[in-house]
Amino acid sequence: MAKILEGPAMKLFNKWGIPVPNYVVIMDPNRLSQLGEANKWLRESKLVVKAHEAIGGRFKLGLVKIGLTLDEAIEASREMIGTKIGTAEVRQVIVAEMLEHDEEYYFSIIGNKDGSELLLSKKGGIDIEDNWGTVKRMFIELDENPSIERLTELAVEAGFEGEIAERVAKISSRLILCFDNEDAQSIEINPLVIRKSDMRFAALDAVMNVDWDARFRHADWDFKPVSEIGRPFTEAEQQIMDIDSRIKGSVKFVEVPGGEVALLTAGGGASVFYADAVVARGGTIANYAEYSGDPADWAVEALTETICRLPNIKHIIVGGAIANFTDVKATFSGIINGFRESKSKGYMENVKIWVRRGGPNEAQGLAAIRKLQEEGFDIHVYDRSMPMTDIVDMAMKS
Amino acid sequence: MSILANKDTRAVIIGGVAGVNAAKRMAQFDFLINKPLTIQAFVYPPEAGQQKEIFRGGELNNITVYGGLSPALQEHPQINTALIYIGASRGYQAAKECIEAPGIKLISMITEGIPEKDAKRLSKLARQHGKIFNGPSSIGIMSAGECRLGVIGGEFKNLKLCNLYRAGSFGVLTKSGGLSNEAMWLCAQNGDGVTSAVAIGGDAYPGTDFVTYLEMFENDPATKAVVMIGEVGGSLEEEAAEWLGAQKRRIKLIAAIGGTCQEVLPQGMKFGHAGAKEGKKGAGSARSKMNALREAGAYVPDTFGGLSKAIKQVYQELLASGDIKPEAGIDESLLPQLPPSVQEVMKQGEVVVEPLIRTTISDDRGEEPRYSGYAASELCEKGYGIEDVIGLLWNKKLPSREESEIIKRIVMISADHGPAVSGAFGSIIAACAGIDMPQAVSAGMTMIGPRFGGAVTNAGKYFKMGVKEFPNDIPGFLSWMKDNVGPVPGIGHRVKSLKNPDKRVKYLVSYVKNETSLHTPCLDYALEVEKITTGKKDNLILNVDGTIGCILMDLDFPEHSLNGFFVLARTIGMIGHWIDQNNQNARLIRLYDYLINYAVKPERPVPEKK
Repeated sequence: MAKILEGPAMKLFNKWGIPVPNYVVIMDPNRLSQLGEANKWLRESKLVVKAHEAIGGRFKLGLVKIGLTLDEAIEASREMIGTKIGTAEVRQVIVAEMLEHDEEYYFSIIGNKDGSELLLSKKGGIDIEDNWGTVKRMFIELDENPSIERLTELAVEAGFEGEIAERVAKISSRLILCFDNEDAQSIEINPLVIRKSDMRFAALDAVMNVDWDARFRHADWDFKPVSEIGRPFTEAEQQIMDIDSRIKGSVKFVEVPGGEVALLTAGGGASVFYADAVVARGGTIANYAEYSGDPADWAVEALTETICRLPNIKHIIVGGAIANFTDVKATFSGIINGFRESKSKGYMENVKIWVRRGGPNEAQGLAAIRKLQEEGFDIHVYDRSMPMTDIVDMAMKS
Repeated sequence: MSILANKDTRAVIIGGVAGVNAAKRMAQFDFLINKPLTIQAFVYPPEAGQQKEIFRGGELNNITVYGGLSPALQEHPQINTALIYIGASRGYQAAKECIEAPGIKLISMITEGIPEKDAKRLSKLARQHGKIFNGPSSIGIMSAGECRLGVIGGEFKNLKLCNLYRAGSFGVLTKSGGLSNEAMWLCAQNGDGVTSAVAIGGDAYPGTDFVTYLEMFENDPATKAVVMIGEVGGSLEEEAAEWLGAQKRRIKLIAAIGGTCQEVLPQGMKFGHAGAKEGKKGAGSARSKMNALREAGAYVPDTFGGLSKAIKQVYQELLASGDIKPEAGIDESLLPQLPPSVQEVMKQGEVVVEPLIRTTISDDRGEEPRYSGYAASELCEKGYGIEDVIGLLWNKKLPSREESEIIKRIVMISADHGPAVSGAFGSIIAACAGIDMPQAVSAGMTMIGPRFGGAVTNAGKYFKMGVKEFPNDIPGFLSWMKDNVGPVPGIGHRVKSLKNPDKRVKYLVSYVKNETSLHTPCLDYALEVEKITTGKKDNLILNVDGTIGCILMDLDFPEHSLNGFFVLARTIGMIGHWIDQNNQNARLIRLYDYLINYAVKPERPVPEKK
């Protein structure tokens, strides 16, 4: 899953002939006045300025301004760029033409096991949730392109008429092409608007997810996926993602501010059960983390140091199932180095460490980490005979 | 009994190094249960034609790597299973070929990061062909006592700990690879072990779902219960619940679902598996999956920790109902031991191996190389130089400060002698022919011999002999040399003479004699010899080879190391010439006709061959 921002999504729409309003993405407000000299639409249309960042609820945060002249848009950009929202900072804004329009429609397409599903409604816009009953659906079998006739029928079924129904069918057809060819997982356009005087359509807002695993066949994907959790990635998350992209195996890390129990867990499956166990015992997790696929020791060391720096943590859970091929000795040597380094930098005071792990070279790995007791670490080490998540129970009771 | 993989399973692995590693693990399992090798062939175009060494216990098998699937299947028609390890960008094509190959019934894909669309297409294609496509991102499939596909089950030791050498009564289905292993361990500890364990992979659209495998387990009489480990995201667990509740089922289902923590975490949060993501409005949440499964009659502990207890409870119920007969455990000592490597046995001191070579000068087994015992970095830190390293590696002694100064000068004055001499000229010709440095320098190096630079050893050797055998008898020495050797090595020069002395010789002799306290019996002897020979002929002077040879003998270097000083020193020069020619981008050279005397037969007709 990879969510992409509105700008890159608009670019892909444009590529596949889905109508979009004129827009520019800028980082420097002065650039906008220069762009204004070059582009008539910036001077003559009403404009909308939106923070071009993965920040949820932008409207309420004042990060969307509408109905502006060019000068007002420049002013709005100046105000928005540099604004800090929690750990996030607005670095870019998207400035788009505000299309005077008569109606707002809802278009979306979502992948499923056997293909995808196209959703259409004549009642798009902010009230779509209330009008969910008006949504008409069509299942599209994998690798099939529905005919214009079928799509027109769907449009008519959704209440579109005459020429508009034909145009809606055409746009749907292009949306399906875009979805299919760009390895998209979901595209939601809300609203797609129409100005009837000149029958102009435009997708005013879009949420698009692409399959990041397919990037090897998309030379023109010049964007990076953005965070899907309502805030941009933190610097530490970004660093671990960079490491993840360079190594065999994987390391993953998401911060959860305010938690007391840090997770340094192995395996995509087991790590989730560790997080569950903490929550089930009334604890709060400070992060989600996972390393797997026998990653290099230095990558695990970097992950360890990142986790040790989390503020106000009381426990670190070094948990994992019985590994198939991740070398316990090698990955633990990264963890041990990370702990030592963090302690020497003054972290980990009053932090208890709980270890449970099995797998290749488990005896040596566990013996090595157990030795940290001699260096003054408050560490509790268990082997495979300890049920996997019981170390969480012990941590919460201690 | 089992599902998917059994005693008749024979596999081809598509992929490179990861596939070979898996094949090794699979062969360990074959050895444990005394089954013929499961792996029959590799397909990996970059290494086509190679063979990979796969040990089944102590038995070494050479498995061929083919450039394509069809030749592999032609040679090994018994192959009925394919394991895909190849990279994500080539995964689709590889898996498609396997699905379309008539003899292959099961395709399991280990590759991670396969685009969703590719996975969906493969899944559809497999259904159309009536094949099973497992994965992507699957760690593998294990049928206890019958077959291992992939690295599932981990280390050899773990295979025994999880009782995988014989079938139990529990099936295992997981998305996660690590948890498949954990679940097998739990079934061995709290029950009687597993029949088959299948990791379906944590992607959003696994090729085969839980229900398909549940149906297979239902039809496998040996399987009495299934442990299924699911997680937030998708609808496979809900479908499994629906299957379970649809009619009375023979097997019992125990399920654990990961991701309840999602309830307190940010919406949209991604976990380690691509598929582990809750949909809008709570669809696919761990809680809704747990509820659906419970309603359908599955045993669903609240947390993973409750899984052991649930397995134990089901096992007890099955024992009580007589569905499972208690089985006596196998004596661990009857199970085969993986033959240890020579290194492991040597560590334990249980075997004697006659070494192939012996070294007395250098050891790199520690953190850094040690020369005659001294760590290289420590030598640097204490101010030693390259002369001292030569002393250690060639003579196993640390030279004194005076001695190293002499060695340094010997190397310095021998480093080069212009482009015209055989060695440099050889390297230059090679450089001009576009030859790389090591070969070009070797070309110059091959010139070093009796007529060029190679006299150092013999000079040292014979002057030393003279000191010993003819101490006060130079004429006796010279006549012995004339009778037994010929011209005295180290005496004589083509251009230099008494009147036109070799500056290098004069400098070296005066440095050693005036600036150092080195005792120089050899050098003194050679100078005495020179007095006699120059009396006979002006150019029979002690030359630079002779001087160096004597000094090195006086420094107590081993006789056969002496030429090494010339080889070492001149290498510096020859490398310089090679670099010089390359910097100039010098052209290919050949001799001009006028530099050759064509002393050949005149042109004449070739006679008919008789």
